[in-house]
Amino acid sequence: MSQAEMSNMEIDHIAADWAARLDRGPLSRPDEESLERWLDHDPRHRGAFMRMRAIALHTERARALGPNFDLTRFESSGLPDRSRFIRRRALWIGGMAAAACIVAVIAVPVITPGDGYDTRKGEVRVISLEDGSVMTLNTASKAKVTFDAAMRKVRLIDGEALFAVAKDSTRPFVVDAGEASVRALGTSFAVRHLERTPIEVVVSEGLVEVRQSASAAPVRVGANMRTEVPLDQAQGAPVPLAIAPEAVNRELAWRDGRIAFEAESLAAAAVSFARYSSTRIVIDDPEIARREITGLFTANDPVSFANAAATSLGLKAQIRAGEVHLSR
Amino acid sequence: MLPRDARALWLARFILPHEGALRAWLRRKASAGFEIDDIVQETYARLSTLETIDNIRDPKTYLFQTAHSIVVSQVRRSRIVPIQAVGHLEAFEMASEEPGPETQTGDHQELQRLAEAIATLPGKVRDVFILRRVHGLPQRDVAQRLGLAESTVEKHMSKGFRLIADFFSRGGNGPRQASSKMPKTLRQDPVRDESGRDE
Repeated sequence: MSQAEMSNMEIDHIAADWAARLDRGPLSRPDEESLERWLDHDPRHRGAFMRMRAIALHTERARALGPNFDLTRFESSGLPDRSRFIRRRALWIGGMAAAACIVAVIAVPVITPGDGYDTRKGEVRVISLEDGSVMTLNTASKAKVTFDAAMRKVRLIDGEALFAVAKDSTRPFVVDAGEASVRALGTSFAVRHLERTPIEVVVSEGLVEVRQSASAAPVRVGANMRTEVPLDQAQGAPVPLAIAPEAVNRELAWRDGRIAFEAESLAAAAVSFARYSSTRIVIDDPEIARREITGLFTANDPVSFANAAATSLGLKAQIRAGEVHLSR
Repeated sequence: MLPRDARALWLARFILPHEGALRAWLRRKASAGFEIDDIVQETYARLSTLETIDNIRDPKTYLFQTAHSIVVSQVRRSRIVPIQAVGHLEAFEMASEEPGPETQTGDHQELQRLAEAIATLPGKVRDVFILRRVHGLPQRDVAQRLGLAESTVEKHMSKGFRLIADFFSRGGNGPRQASSKMPKTLRQDPVRDESGRDE
């Protein structure tokens, strides 16, 4: 530590206050002088202030979002939902292709049949497959890829993966998860396979066929639909349900390393974060656990989530040995 | 435009997007005994007081170099760090040669990130922020519309700036797939440890 008379957090507070004062309008002469004195007092003051001022100026770009932009619902009414969704997807595929090239050079120079891939907690990995398809593995997931002349097969052993499937009518693309299998024809979809939870399939584009088991009849699931494959066939066949494109986006927020909640209970949110980080969110009070939260959060950063939840719900977030506690 | 604001705009455009990557890089060396926030603030200070920025062709590399030199001088100054740490630090290779995916970030994506940052703000702060920034209303009008004192609106804006700064510095603007391009040994544990300093 340097001889800090003031903590960095205090400096940030004062810097942000000055940035907000300046945001109102030009400073009075005495204010300007007192700001200059503060800035000259310690180089960190100037650094913190310039950073906040940069934020203040940068956020002015939000004007471009247009007055109808409804941030609370993650949707832009500036454009019809559908086209916005496509645009976002296109961007995402572009970004993924860029990332995938780098992976191909450094991490997986050659993909041979029967390759296994896994991710650690909090990691998201983009893997480009030999046919041009792209597999994005979410946190703590494991998959095995086996391609041959007749079939492109991926076994999702554990976790969650998103597939952007390259068209190849001669070789079907099939993802197996547990007993179930999902067969795609040039499409984009995600499969979630978690312990003691029904296998979930979300389709963002195209069409897939879901089979509960090798002998079961296929169920067709189209774009902007999701379905759950019950753990036990006695519970019935999978039923595809239409969902809004925003909901698909929310389901797939993890591909950008994020988690999205809409009116989710804190208890359920804590369970979601546990998939991404070993820092646990602990809520002892059941009344607090039932409170709901909406927002977009960095998936492997439960502490920031807890802080945000605490701020918006008037709670306290305390960090103790590998845990963050939410309480009144 | 004030020279100060011209520099702040430059920081917003060319430095801020790399702050997440810089912090991740610093975090890997944090055991050497320095405070990441200190280094980041001093780095911004140094970039703010540069005579000119015209000769900086690669802002990201420049940012990392500046931070690196501040780390080295801090570790040298500090008496609690064993002397070997300095040599160790200087041996660190620059992590920034390779242009990350974020350098290709398009305007649309930048706007999307900004929207996400605003969406994560808590209730009142967000209301104020949207009226001020998305609708572009003057502070006085925002105060009237929400039935708040002007000073309260200002406080909310101040808080908004801090939260958005946090959002960006935690990789809100950075490459989420960064780990996939790194060799296994360089992958970072995602659990952050300095976050305990949050409010």
